[in-house]
Amino acid sequence: MSGRRVVVTGIGVLSSIGNGAAEFTRALREGRCGAGPITRFDATGFREQYAHEVRDFEPADWIHHLRPDTLGRTTQFSLAAARMATRDADLEPDRLRETRVLVTIGTTDGEAAEYERLIETELAEGPEGMDATAVRRLPAHRLALAVVRELRLPYAAPSVLGTACAAGNYAIGDGFDAIRSGEADYALVGGADALARRTFAGFSRMGLVAPDRCRPFDAEREGLLTAEGAGVLLLEPLDSALARGARIYAELLGYGLNCDAHHPTAPALESVSRCMELALADAGVKTGEVDLVSAHGTGTKTNDVTEARAIRAVFGDEPPRTVALKSMLGHSMGAASALGAAASALALARGFIPPTVNHRSTDPECGIDCVPNHAVAEAPRVVVNNGLAFGGNNASLVLGRSDRTEDSPRDPEDPR
Amino acid sequence: MSTAPPATAQRRAAPPVITAWSAVSPYGLGRAAHAAGLASGGPTAGPVDDTQPLWAGGPDESACLVPGFEVRKVLGKAGTRTMDRVTGLAVTAVRELFQDAADAADGADGAGTGTAPVPAGAGTALVLGTTLGSAYLQHMFSKASFEGTKPYDVPTQWMPNVLMNCPASATAIRYGLKGPNATLAGGRPAALLALAYARRLLAAGRAERTVVGASEEYSAARAWLERHGSAAAGGAQDVPLGEGCAVLVLEPGDGGADAGGSGNPPLAEVLAIDVRTDIRGDVPATLADCVTDALDQAASRPDDVWAALGGGLPGPAGDAEQALLSERFGAAATERLAGHELIGDTAAASGAFQLAAVLAGAAADPAAAGRTAVVTSVDRDGVVACAVLRLCEQAPRRGAGPVPMAAPPRGAPGHGEAAQLPLPPGGREEGSPDE
Repeated sequence: MSGRRVVVTGIGVLSSIGNGAAEFTRALREGRCGAGPITRFDATGFREQYAHEVRDFEPADWIHHLRPDTLGRTTQFSLAAARMATRDADLEPDRLRETRVLVTIGTTDGEAAEYERLIETELAEGPEGMDATAVRRLPAHRLALAVVRELRLPYAAPSVLGTACAAGNYAIGDGFDAIRSGEADYALVGGADALARRTFAGFSRMGLVAPDRCRPFDAEREGLLTAEGAGVLLLEPLDSALARGARIYAELLGYGLNCDAHHPTAPALESVSRCMELALADAGVKTGEVDLVSAHGTGTKTNDVTEARAIRAVFGDEPPRTVALKSMLGHSMGAASALGAAASALALARGFIPPTVNHRSTDPECGIDCVPNHAVAEAPRVVVNNGLAFGGNNASLVLGRSDRTEDSPRDPEDPR
Repeated sequence: MSTAPPATAQRRAAPPVITAWSAVSPYGLGRAAHAAGLASGGPTAGPVDDTQPLWAGGPDESACLVPGFEVRKVLGKAGTRTMDRVTGLAVTAVRELFQDAADAADGADGAGTGTAPVPAGAGTALVLGTTLGSAYLQHMFSKASFEGTKPYDVPTQWMPNVLMNCPASATAIRYGLKGPNATLAGGRPAALLALAYARRLLAAGRAERTVVGASEEYSAARAWLERHGSAAAGGAQDVPLGEGCAVLVLEPGDGGADAGGSGNPPLAEVLAIDVRTDIRGDVPATLADCVTDALDQAASRPDDVWAALGGGLPGPAGDAEQALLSERFGAAATERLAGHELIGDTAAASGAFQLAAVLAGAAADPAAAGRTAVVTSVDRDGVVACAVLRLCEQAPRRGAGPVPMAAPPRGAPGHGEAAQLPLPPGGREEGSPDE
């Protein structure tokens, strides 16, 4: 369908491999792995001890108007990444205040970690004395609401999409539609999640947590590592970006979303293929034009084989390079596909293919080139970024190198 | 007073239309039961049975519960082994919606409206609102981790239910809804935000129709959070908590003035949805601007307004909302419909129940046709929302005609079994492949 062209002009990132677009880019190029011992909750008694945590996060660097103690960690992440994206886009909040803005943030667990702390106290002391300030941090829609309040956006609709581990892509797609149709002139969209004990416990009990490192597509992969993080993109129409001389990372060409309607936890091959096909059709891109797939790639037995087969079903027997960023970032739940989209935009803008790290030997059942361990200095033209979730909620984005990227001012910190 | 800037390049398309609705509520299962209950105005609060794990140890003596609602009794045993209450309410509401559409198409009562049943498959999207999902399941899951012999001794069969998207995805599995499937967390205005999201999906051509609604369960865990949360926000919980799920079908309005995209007769056009956030510490003024702009977008004047229904947030912000609606639209409009005072505070589902109240009321009042309804919602965190609907002339339907003043069919014994659909493909006993 026709409409305004949509570009990515700002990126905000918090991740276990680095915060901010410049550091995140360096880490992706180096193939940094953010796994480490769990510190966010007491992991005593768990069989596995590793996760991917965000380090060097100082809320006060990003939160100037709201009281940080009224915000849970996930909301702080969301807000910080949104402010980072507006700064990165060199966009004054005043400009955002004069126009219609869409703020949509995806999440799997919202403020689950906050609720867990309340439950732990309640089990010891009873429910009467619950900390009411902490209770007020819990509603998931505060992830978007806090962005609107902190940036003081009078005409912004705050939505939070709880579509589990595909939520970041859902949110970015929502922003794409709003900009393309003209419903909004800017969109702050992405995903956020903080490390939650309950998710770790559940995956651990299901035998899906790796003992040390996440190794997607590897013949000896042992599962995922849970993670935290946030990725928020600033989207705007191409015309407005050009008019204000903004740096354009990438053009968002289209997206697709669908539902397996099949099983609560197991992905459905045909439906995952269909989702990528919907995205390519929406973008008007042929399979042969795609140079890179940023896979959901969790590192579990079931996901990687099903997803690789779905990719082959769409792209044929020689599919594009297919990387799993979760090898570096862990599985940051609702943030995962948003961080994937950020990495895709950076790969397009800076001209490199990020690797799948911790890799030993590729599972022949997967049958893809996962770019083992070392980034490749080749400039992709079009990237497909997948997000798959419990409940069969799938969403795929298609991003393309902007023909204006070369004219754009470069990031001074970037060593390109 | 600020006026929102116009969206610079908004295309003007025919507004989307609502073509069907249903609900599972403290008045029972289905549209007819809910509409009759609202018309009767009968009380729905009852004692909370604290021998049930879901309700044990809660702070409330009474609540407005869906009478006799037990998931496996209502939906049968297939595919419901690990279906929690908030999910079961959503699955049942969608069942009732589809059954109602099928009945109307059949003209089973001799007065078919020609409405097409809602098709399954990729053309149908589903968007459900929530606040944080099931507080009960999350509480139970974390408690198991804290109290188990090992911290990973958690009931993994319930892990999908701990996630917010369980009601929407379980409903999709049961009825084969393969279109976009989204869960939108928005607090009390969640259904209005979901309606706005659904409108974007339709405008972008991502679905042919969208089922939109919101589901909320009553549990001790939620009741404690509501109690502490409302106290911290300075509003006492002066209405009992309620539960249920209300859903509607939204279609593109391209079928012209008389029909949705499917040719189904519209019940209402969605003329405007405005959602914004109080950023100046003045919720009443923000809501006033929001309502003004929504009416402007709808090109609707205050005297067009047949009914205005607020969200019933306990406390000063909700009181200010009610005062604003009375001042703008007069007592005739604000007193026409009842909401939370009948079915309790349904929190995340409250916006969906407001829309249901408008549609039920309009069906019973021929004078509503051609006029508008204003639905507002205010959240404790400062989100305000306003939707403006234009009500359409409705063909007479069962359960929507002259309203009997007798007691509503509370519980409607046997209703669930009688109305049960055959198990669709995919609606089978589930189990995790990874265990």
